[in-house]
This record gives sequence, C-alpha cells and structure tokens, in this order.
Amino acid sequence: MNTLPQQLANGLLLGSMYGLIAIGYTMVYGIVQLINFAHGEIFMTGAFGALTVYFYILPDGTPMAVAVPLMLIGGGIVAILIAVGAERFAYRPLRGAPRLAPLITAIGLSLALQEVVRNFYPGADRARAFPGLDATHDLGSITIKDADIFLIVSAVVCMAALAYFVRKSRTGRAMQATAQDPDTAQLMGIDTNRIIVIAFAIGGFFAAVAAVAYGLKYGNVDYRMGFLMGLKAFTAAVLGGIGNIYGAMLGGLVLGIAETLASAYIDEIPGMQQLGGQSWANVWAFCLLIIVLLVRPQGLLGERVADRA
Amino acid sequence: MITMTTTTTTGTPVLEATNVTMRFGGLTAVRSVDFTVNSGEIVGLIGPNGAGKTTFFNCLTGLYVPTEGTVSYKGTVLPPKPHLVTKAGIARTFQNIRLFANMTVLENVLVGRHTRTKEGLWSALLRGPGFKKAERESEERAMELLEFVGLANKRDHLARNLPYGEQRKLEIARALASEPGLLLLDEPTAGMNPQETRATEELVFAIRDKGIAVLLIEHDMRFVFNLCDRVACLVQGEKLVEGTSDVVQSDERVVAAYLGTPFEGVPEDSALDEVEAAEAHSATSTTSVEVEGDQK
Amino acid sequence: MTDTKTTPVTPAPTTRGVLPLPTAAARPLLLAGGIATAASAFLAWTWTAEFPGDLTINGYPGGLQWLTVVAGILTVLFTLASYDIRGLGWLLPARNTAPLVLTALGAFATTWFTIIAISVELGGLANLEPGGWIAAIAAALPLLGALALPQENTGNAKETFKASIAKAEKIPAPAAVSPWIERLVITVVTAIGLGVFTYGIDTEYGELFVGYLITVVFAMWALHTAGLLDRFSRLVAHNRSFTLAMGFVAAIAFPFTQTDDHYANIGVNILIFGTVALGLNIVVGLAGLLDLGYVAFLGVGAYTAALVSGSEFSRFSGVQFPFWASALTGAAASLIFGVLIGAPTLRLRGDYLAIVTLGFGEIFRIAVNNMDGDSGPDITNGPNGIPSIPDLNFLGFNFGQSHDIGGFTLGRFANYYLLMVLIMAIVVLVYTRAADSRIGRSWIAIREDETAATAMGINGFRVKLIAFALGAALAGLAGTVSAHVTYSVVPTPYQFAGSTPPNSAFLLAAVVLGGMGTVAGPLLGAALLYLLPEKLVFLQDKSLLAFGIALILLMRFRPEGVIANRRQQLEFHETGQLDVPEQRIDDTDDTAVSVTKAGA
Repeated sequence: MNTLPQQLANGLLLGSMYGLIAIGYTMVYGIVQLINFAHGEIFMTGAFGALTVYFYILPDGTPMAVAVPLMLIGGGIVAILIAVGAERFAYRPLRGAPRLAPLITAIGLSLALQEVVRNFYPGADRARAFPGLDATHDLGSITIKDADIFLIVSAVVCMAALAYFVRKSRTGRAMQATAQDPDTAQLMGIDTNRIIVIAFAIGGFFAAVAAVAYGLKYGNVDYRMGFLMGLKAFTAAVLGGIGNIYGAMLGGLVLGIAETLASAYIDEIPGMQQLGGQSWANVWAFCLLIIVLLVRPQGLLGERVADRA
Repeated sequence: MITMTTTTTTGTPVLEATNVTMRFGGLTAVRSVDFTVNSGEIVGLIGPNGAGKTTFFNCLTGLYVPTEGTVSYKGTVLPPKPHLVTKAGIARTFQNIRLFANMTVLENVLVGRHTRTKEGLWSALLRGPGFKKAERESEERAMELLEFVGLANKRDHLARNLPYGEQRKLEIARALASEPGLLLLDEPTAGMNPQETRATEELVFAIRDKGIAVLLIEHDMRFVFNLCDRVACLVQGEKLVEGTSDVVQSDERVVAAYLGTPFEGVPEDSALDEVEAAEAHSATSTTSVEVEGDQK
Repeated sequence: MTDTKTTPVTPAPTTRGVLPLPTAAARPLLLAGGIATAASAFLAWTWTAEFPGDLTINGYPGGLQWLTVVAGILTVLFTLASYDIRGLGWLLPARNTAPLVLTALGAFATTWFTIIAISVELGGLANLEPGGWIAAIAAALPLLGALALPQENTGNAKETFKASIAKAEKIPAPAAVSPWIERLVITVVTAIGLGVFTYGIDTEYGELFVGYLITVVFAMWALHTAGLLDRFSRLVAHNRSFTLAMGFVAAIAFPFTQTDDHYANIGVNILIFGTVALGLNIVVGLAGLLDLGYVAFLGVGAYTAALVSGSEFSRFSGVQFPFWASALTGAAASLIFGVLIGAPTLRLRGDYLAIVTLGFGEIFRIAVNNMDGDSGPDITNGPNGIPSIPDLNFLGFNFGQSHDIGGFTLGRFANYYLLMVLIMAIVVLVYTRAADSRIGRSWIAIREDETAATAMGINGFRVKLIAFALGAALAGLAGTVSAHVTYSVVPTPYQFAGSTPPNSAFLLAAVVLGGMGTVAGPLLGAALLYLLPEKLVFLQDKSLLAFGIALILLMRFRPEGVIANRRQQLEFHETGQLDVPEQRIDDTDDTAVSVTKAGA
C-alpha cells in the first residue's frame, strides 16, 4: 500500500504527532525564550506513565475503550508533573542567567530523565511492548488503524481547545501578554510565574497525548524515543515559526508529510537511488530544517522573535 | 593626545539623513525625518519619551533598517549593517549601558579598535612582528583614550565592577576607539548626579575639540542647551523644530509638547508603550532577518 | 562577597569552636591526631588480603593506607604552620583555620572510607583487625580538634561550620622572590602534579580511585582556602610560557613513568578527549556558541583519516596518505562541514545553532551507519566501520612497535600518546594565541553582548563562523589520530550521548565541569570524565545519569566550573577591587541611586 494518498495520510499522521509535541516547545519558547531541550524526554515519560497505568494499575483485560482515557490521564499526570517540576527546580532559578546556562541544564535534565527511566523502570532498557490499537479500516485507497483515528481526533481536539483557551480565556490572554512583554505583564498584575507553569503544563500534557498515540500506533516504547521525536518536533516548531502555536501544528504537518514523501519517493530521483527509505528520513527532515532556516528563518507563520535587550 | 586622522572644518555635513521613516507593523515610530550634522558641531536631539529618538538612532547606526529614506556619512550612503556603519566612522553609546561586562576596561576599549585593525586569525596564531606591532599600537591608543576619559588607572578592572559614572565614561572611550568622525551619545547623563553631568559636559566639549562631531539624545534640558550648537525636537516621530538652543527653547510647540510636562518620563505616555511593544515585537536586532508581514 | 568570616587563629574572647571543647585543646588534638592517623596506617587493618591492596601487613602500609598517611601528614603540616613554625609559614599565608579543618576532614574521610569499604565488602566489622579500629579512632581525633578550633560562633551550628571552612578573605601578597625561585616553584608543583595525576591513572581498583579522589579533593580544597592556589595562579600568570613549557615537559614525561602500555592507552584517550574538549571550548567558552554535535566533527576527521589510511577495508583502499597529509585532509573535511553547518545558522539566534548542530550530529551518525552500499552509497562500511587501520609510520618510526628510548620502553600507545601531546600542544597554542588577540576579543565581545559588539564594528557572523570552523577543524585533526589509535572507526562513539566518552554530551560536560573559557578546565574535566567510568566499573551503567544530574547542579551552584577563568577570578579576587553588583538604571530612575555611587 504505497500509493500517494496513503503516503500523504501517513505523513499527515506523523505530522500531527510532531505538531502535538511541538506545541510544548513553542509555548515555552514564546514565553520564556527557552528551548526546553528536555521536552522530548517529557514526551517519553508520558509514554511510560501511560504504560504504567495499563500494565500495573488496570486489571488485565480492561477493554481499550476504558483503558485509553485512563492511560491518557496517567501519562498526562506524569508528563505534567515532570514538566512543571523541571520548570520549578531546574529552570526558574536560572532566569536571568546567561543563555547558555538553562540550555546546558536542559541537556542535563534530558540525560537524567532518560537514564532514570532506563535504570529504574522495569524492562525499560530495551523496547517495551505497548498495547496497540491495530484494527484497520479501508477508506478507498488508504488504510488506517484505530490508533491513527485516535491520533488525528486527539490532535484536532487538542488544537481546538488550545486555540479557544488562548483566545478566549483570561489566562490565555494573560499568556499572550506575557509572551509579548513579561515585565510589563507583571506590572499589569499578571502572575507571570503562574503563566509560565501553565505553559509548561500544557506542553507536558500535549506531549503525553502524543506519547499515548505513539504507543498505540507503533506498539512499543523505549527510553530513547524522546530524543529523535523531540528533535524533530523542535524542527517542526522552528519550521512553523517558533512562538506561534498554529505554526507548530502546521510545521509538524509539513515536516511529517515532507519526511514521508522523501523516504518514499526520493530514490526515484536519478542519482539519489540509494538515499531513500526510512533510514534516510531523518536526514531529509534536518535538511529541510536547514533549508528553512536559510530561506525563511522566522518560519512559515513567521512571528519574529525580538532580541529583548 | 590623540591625533585625528581626519581633520574637518566646520560646516561640511558629516551625517545626512534624508526622509528617514521607520514603521513597526502599523505603527510609525519615525516619520520622514531629514537631519544633518555638520563637522565640528554638537547637535542635540530632544523629545518626550516615545518620540522615536532611540529608534531614529538605531536607524542611523544600522541596527534597524529604515522603512524608507537613506542615511549617508560624508557623502556616502551607509549600508544598514551596524558593523559597516561603525567602520565608516559613526560610533555610538547605548541608553542602557552595554559594556562587555566580563572584559577588563582595557579590553573593552581594544574591542572598540576592531575596525581600525586588521589582524586576523592567522596573524594571531603565527604572531609575527606585524601582529605584535599592531597589538602594541592598539594598546597605546586604548591607553591614551582611557587617560582622556580618566580611567587609565582602572585598566585591569572588569567593566562590571566600575561605578556607574565610570561605566558611562568607558562606553564613550570604547566608542572613540573606533576613531569616529561622528559620535552618537544616547542619553549620556541618564542617572547621573549634577557633578557627573558637569564632567560629562566637559568631556563632550573635549571630544568636539578633537574634531569629532557629536549627536546626542538627552532629557536634561540644561545640559542640552548648554552644550549644543543646534537642537532638534522630535515629537511623535516627526521633527517639530530645529535650530539654536534659544530658538528651540522658546518655541511654543516644543514647550507644549515637551517642556510643559515633567521630563523625567510620563508613565502613562501611551506612545512609549506602543513603541516599546512594537520594537520588542519586530525589532530587526542583530540578526539580518527581514521583517515581513508582521502579524499583530 | 560572602557573609562568612574567617577568624584568626589567635582566639578572640567571643569565639569558641563548633564543638563545645576547650579551645586550647584544639590544636594539640589536631597535631596528635594527625600523627596518630598517619602512624595507624602502618598497622594491619584487616586480616585478609581479599580486600584489594593488602592491608594486612604490620609495619608497611598498602594501597589505601598510603592515602591515609598522606592525609595525616598534610594535617600535621598545616597544624604546625598554624603554630608559626619557621619554614612552614608559607603554607598558611592568611593564618586562617579553614585549611586545618579541611585537611582533618580529608584524613577522616579517607580513613573512614577505607574502614567502611572493608566492612562492607568483606561483610561486617568483624573483618577489622585492632589496627583498623585504632585507625578509625585516630582519624576522628584531628576532626574533633578541628571542630574545637575557635570560631566566630553565630549560634547556628551549620552557619558556624560553613564559616569554619570558608576561604581566607584577605591573602597577604607574597614576598617578592627572584624569577628563578618562581620557576623552581612552578617546576616542583608541576612535578608533584604529574606524580599525583599519574598515581590517579595508575590506580588499579575502584576503591583506591575513590580514596584517591577523596584525598585529592580535600587537599585541593584546603590549599584553595589557604589561598595557595591563588598565589600559584598568580605565579603562573607571571610565567605563562614557562608554565606552559613545564606542563608539556610533564605531559611528555608521563609515558616514561609507566611500565604498562595499558595506562599509556588511558593517557592517549584522555589526551584525545581533552584536545577535542579544548577545541569545543573555543566554540562554547570563547564565542558562546552552543555546539551539541561537536563529536561529529571528530568523526568526520576519523573517517576521513581511515578512508585514506590504506586500510584494505576502506573504500579507497589503494590510497595511503602520509600522516601529515591525512591529518590535514581530516581537518579540512571537518572545516568544510563546519562552514556548511555554520553558514546558514550563525546568522540566527544562538538557540537555533544548538538544535542544528544536534541535528547534524544525528545526520552524521545516521549517514555513516547507512553508507554501506545497501541502504546508501558505499563509503563508510555501515555499522561495521573501517577496521585494520595501519599504524602510522613517520620517517621510519613505526608507531605500532615498541621502542627503547634511554632505557625506557615506549609501547604502541606511548608512541601515540607522544604524538597526541604534540597535537594538544598545537591546540593549546591555537587556543591561547587566538584568545589573546583581536579575533579572540571579538569572540568574547560577541558572547557578552552581540548588539554592542556589532555596534563596535565587529562583523558578528564572520567572527562566529571563524570560531565555529576553527573548532571543527581542531576536532577533525584530533579525529585523524584517534582513528589510528583505535585501529578502526565505527559509528557508535560519534553520537550525542553514550555511556563512554567521547560523545557530544560528555564533551560539553567536560568543558562545563572544568570551566568554560580556560585551558586547564576542559583538560581537567576530560581527565575526570574519562577516568570516572574507566575506574569505577560499577558506575559505568549510571554514569550518564550522574552526568545529567551533575550538569543541572553545576549550572545551579557553580556555573563557572571547577576552574574559574581569569575573568571570574578578577571578579572576586583582585585586591582592592570592589564587587559592585550589576547596575541597571533606567532613564526614569531618579538619580539617588547613582549619587551614592558617585565616587568618580
């Protein structure tokens, strides 16, 4: 089943997963200008949180219709706790420090989270099976799984809810104000610390949603899954225009589709016969990032990021 | 002390800004400003907070790319790149002092000499006689400048450890190190007490006597009118009046727009907030990213 | 600066010790305890030689006991110095008590670590001989004495203790000595340093290495609080080139002190790691550019060298470049990649560079894994890598064979070690010369404030690209040697994070841990980070976890690293210089703030 519509659907699905994770990067970056490098690991811990719910809390044989929402909640709680904890104990003390400091902290955090899971989660030193939703449906020329439906539905719901939240709610408007100018926002009575925590929490939850979708779709999770996914989600955020939540989703979709099409069709280009297939997909994703940075550094929905000096 | 490489006679224009306009999204911070500074002149730029003075400065020095209009120095149009502007001969200081905090006083001034020296990586690695000579000369020039502003005895202190007034002086010395023909000072006396302000006044005269034209933004009216040969008043991004101190001082529009209000800053001034928000939102800053279709 | 105070040894009436012991007993206790601790090492501590190092012999210390001897003697020396014994005054220039407390702590920690290690490993206190008990008691004595030393007592035990180990506030300037004496001091210190370092590399079992680390850390800490390290760094500053030369003499001397080529292997690996870390330090420490894929440049160099090495498994197996040519080719290849990566990203904010370099590191790993002819072009041989890289041959000197030089036998790794010392010398030279020049100043300026730097006429993009490309080229150069040292190149070491060095995370950790912007920092960091997993096998599995946590804590509590660079030293320790906090005065501030500072 490698028709063009199928490839497009695959790309769209992969892209919405990138988009969900990219939201976390873009919101945090938009507000505190920090690349939360550990966000990929927050995604990973969300997956293990959901796995814990399924294997160690729910009784065997729980129907998936019941299990999946509970796994979402479990993964969400773990990811939110870790994201908020990271903000509170690792990043907040460094506000105002040279820019390199929080980045290095983020790298440390990312290593530490990976290693904690690898060392202390039972069986996590290699891929662990995750309950899959593998029933397939044929829709004309494309075939999708239940997990894909879950992914696309949750991505749409999450985006819609986030858009509503940011535009309509008081907190959402406070968030926009903080992103514009944290100092002034604070003077206007906005508790910027709370806003930052909320941004981390939303990012964490979205990452957990993506993580559950990842597990359901691919059927296994491992402690390293956050590294590449996080890197590509960040690429998606930059692609769409970092700081812009719609840009993150759009960037995710573009990246997902571009990556899928490249791995499917690039070997048909003369001279590049050996550069196709899944093994080169990541290379093309990063090449895309570099090209975008060259051509349109502010991203597709370019909101310029100012040097706040 | 310092011999100027370019000696100029009063009267020839050093800086000519023609029709400079700067828009941030929908907001016009600077609107069609024509402006000239002649050699040997001290020119003041005044205006209420948010009038676009610093934005105009940033347009002159290439930090912002003006939406319209050109800036030329001694007859040549300047490219909108800060380092090329400095190379051409315009040096500046910043409103909120921007020294290299963790470098020593001497090193700060040596960085200012960057455009007047050429030694690249290879020469630094090979350390030929040319390199040593250039380093020695740079250091001599830097020490002359530190003596000029009175900081020679602090050469090995970190810039961050200097008292406030000396940081301002160091910033001026650093700017002078690039051997400019025109020095732009952005609020050189902000936060200074009267004695320090007096000292700065003398320093500015001394700089002018070296043959360097000076353009300064200032809120301290007494300072401006004592010092400047010519004063221009910017209000809401437009040049309202320009002329000698007396003319500007007695102009009713200036009094209305500016002198009537306490000039230490009007917090409610909406123009200020707007400009700052717009700048933060879409400043071109140091990257050479083109601002396109700014969403607001 | 700090709110802690160090009190002079002569007791002031209001002071007493952390422990409510008579202050008069403090120093006698320290002295006697120190001697007793050192002496107790000559007893048998345990009955069986099962515990490594054989601590069963009366009259001759073994393994860890030697460390107790050293720690005890240090305690005695510092205590004697506090009695104003002639000839020892230089040990305590500020006459503060902190070094006494710290050396006593060191003796206590070293000894008790050994005792506990014996009990735990052999299964119970029953395995201690009477000598072990005596040692434990003897080592506790100086600690008691140290805690009884008169201290300005705030009533809060924790605060008082912190005060008792604080560094001397004012260190009297040393008496002027002739430059020859200065050089002699540097030579002696370098020799001792080489000895200490060699001992560390040669430790044969994990317990000894941990004990070694404990002893060295407390000793260095004591020297630091005594102000001796500051004095030494001032000496070094006076005699820069002499110190550099001595450093290299010491580095060259290392393989001659070794009988086992295995330790020379560790040495060469530390050197490769340290050299690459130093190259990274140009990029991160000087120019402030965070490069998260730096190890890929090492990989580019290594693969390039392997391809032109004449290995039969190389794609170009017929080609065999002489070493100088392959080194240059490797460096040039890395340089090209550096420019390709840097050019699009260095125009943007620094954060983008971090991600793009991370992506590049990943691309490199994927690409070399795939270029095996099946899933990609046939270049790198995929996961199998390029094995059988022939040894270097330099003007008839075969690096693969042992050579006898002046009665010493230099094995294969010792040969490469010496070659690597040469490469490191080049990198150190490049680093120090570049840092102290127009281009180096512009890097630092860019790091400090890019807007101000461009306003001073610096072409930010250009100088950043130079830093980035230079860093890449140096890594490539080191990579060419490492390809020959390891016989083969495979993709696995060249990734972002792994449990053994070098990988990008370790490299960054070495730079940050050691101290950004210094020469010695990354080298020390690299040595530590290489030795820890090498010596502590039990730690290997958890080393990445430890590094992750260490990075977080380091950024939080000591962002300047173990060795602070000159700027930070200036900031805190220059005599007569005020530590004026950074001032931010807005134009709307009233002038009162600056009036108080109007000393100018």
